[in-house]
Amino acid sequence: MAGAMLVLFGALMGAPMNVSLGAGNEPLVVDLLPQRIEIDSSFSGSTVILFGVKTVPGDIIVTLRGPEAPVVVRRKRRVAGIWINRDSVAFRDVPQYYALAASRPVEELMNVQELNRNQIGSDHILLNTIWTRTMEEVDNFREAVRRGRMTEDLYAPEIGEIVIIDDSLFRATLTLPANVPTGEYVAETILVRDGEILSRREAHLTVEKSGISAEIYDFAKGQGALYGLIAIAAALLAGWAGGVAFRKN
Amino acid sequence: MEIYLPIAEISTNVFLLLGLGGAIGFLSGMFGVGGGFLMTPLLIFLGVPPTVAVGTGTNLIVAASVSGMMAHWRRGNVDFRMGALLFSGGIGGSWLGVWLFKALREAGQIDLVISLFYVVFLTVVGSLMGAESVRAALRRNTSRRRKAHQHNWFHGLPFKLRFRRSKLYVSALPPIVVGFLMGLLAAFMGVGGGFIMIPVMIYLIGMPTSVVVGTSLFGIVVVSTVSSFAHAVQNHNVDIILALLLAVGAVIGAQYGSRFSQRIKGEYLRGLLAVMVLAVGGRLLYGLVARPEDLYSATLMVMR
Repeated sequence: MAGAMLVLFGALMGAPMNVSLGAGNEPLVVDLLPQRIEIDSSFSGSTVILFGVKTVPGDIIVTLRGPEAPVVVRRKRRVAGIWINRDSVAFRDVPQYYALAASRPVEELMNVQELNRNQIGSDHILLNTIWTRTMEEVDNFREAVRRGRMTEDLYAPEIGEIVIIDDSLFRATLTLPANVPTGEYVAETILVRDGEILSRREAHLTVEKSGISAEIYDFAKGQGALYGLIAIAAALLAGWAGGVAFRKN
Repeated sequence: MEIYLPIAEISTNVFLLLGLGGAIGFLSGMFGVGGGFLMTPLLIFLGVPPTVAVGTGTNLIVAASVSGMMAHWRRGNVDFRMGALLFSGGIGGSWLGVWLFKALREAGQIDLVISLFYVVFLTVVGSLMGAESVRAALRRNTSRRRKAHQHNWFHGLPFKLRFRRSKLYVSALPPIVVGFLMGLLAAFMGVGGGFIMIPVMIYLIGMPTSVVVGTSLFGIVVVSTVSSFAHAVQNHNVDIILALLLAVGAVIGAQYGSRFSQRIKGEYLRGLLAVMVLAVGGRLLYGLVARPEDLYSATLMVMR
């Protein structure tokens, strides 16, 4: 790991020179390590490191967004003494993971409109409704999406640090918890100066399950009928074998 | 030793699961019940999602009942014609139950419905069992004998069939309806339903006791098989690793349970079981009436 980082650092140190030799003088170059994370049965979380080089002065903001999916938020109400899910609001394209790192507090770098437009910070993620089945404020439900993800550590509660070296080389460390969802992740790096975005770069990360449990999961979801038959055969065999083993005693 | 359960998507200790299976197996061997109605709530308390607890429960019951069924089969204690009717009703009940289960899951109400079913059901079974064991303990020796072949309104129903093994000539409808109800219960609760089927067979259909247990075990195996398959296809909620770990524990536990039961008086056993059943039901009821920490809950939308 350390060796790989050194190699990467070396490559990045050389990068601006190469770029400046190229057609467009890129103000921002980034890379992500690792670009693939495999979740096996012993997975207990991981970190990804985003390296980059900027050729012009300015601050850096890095966001890492997980795969998006529709989410239903339900609110319980007491009916005849029992708490029952009653009101519900569905949101479109909710990122299943979100982390933010910045070289300075983002509120100092951009105004609220810009933060919203670029979806910087978990409070500024765009949550459009698909349908609304409540008389209550939709914002309460919106807040519950963020609260739910935060209690599961899927929305990082704190803004990560970005280390800038010599006003050109920078590094952000982002943490993925053990329950990180699988799918495609997008890390976006933004170069900001005086409230204006000078450049942005995307890097991609794949999180996938691996090992026997991943195969069982995929098989159960993809081939439900065959999986069901195998599960039944296994149950019959286990029960039968148990019966035979104990009859001899 | 931690193991990641692929469908339940949680990590648990292997020995905890083996122990839980063993404890349930011990109880089922001791009391002569399937144990599914204790297994599903305990899995929920352990953190297994309720839907996975139910789906896995149907699979576990297949494993837990098959060796008993085969023992009865060898002794000729299974009425296959009756079993076939239970099976045909069970297919309908299972598929309807699993379909309803899926619809309720999409509506976000399935956890509530599973808990409600269990609360009602554990309270009723626990109270009946408790009352019966107290009554039996009070007057041990005055056992009344039932007439071997009573006639009631069940015998007036149409579509009569001859059941040679059971020495009966009764309507085909009650077994089909019983099978249907068992299928519904299996789909919704992950239980075998023997505690419902056995009294119906004895008291309503009037089957001889010798074939009741074998035939009911046959019914449990076939109905649980259908439910398990339907859940695997429709809801993808059967965790094969979880089911097998529990099954290994249950098969071993059942052997010791049945040996142990011969040393304790039956009514004390049933009284003990009644207390346990009521305790589990009470815990589930508390979960329904206590104010939740967060009134809001966010879940991924179930894709159609």
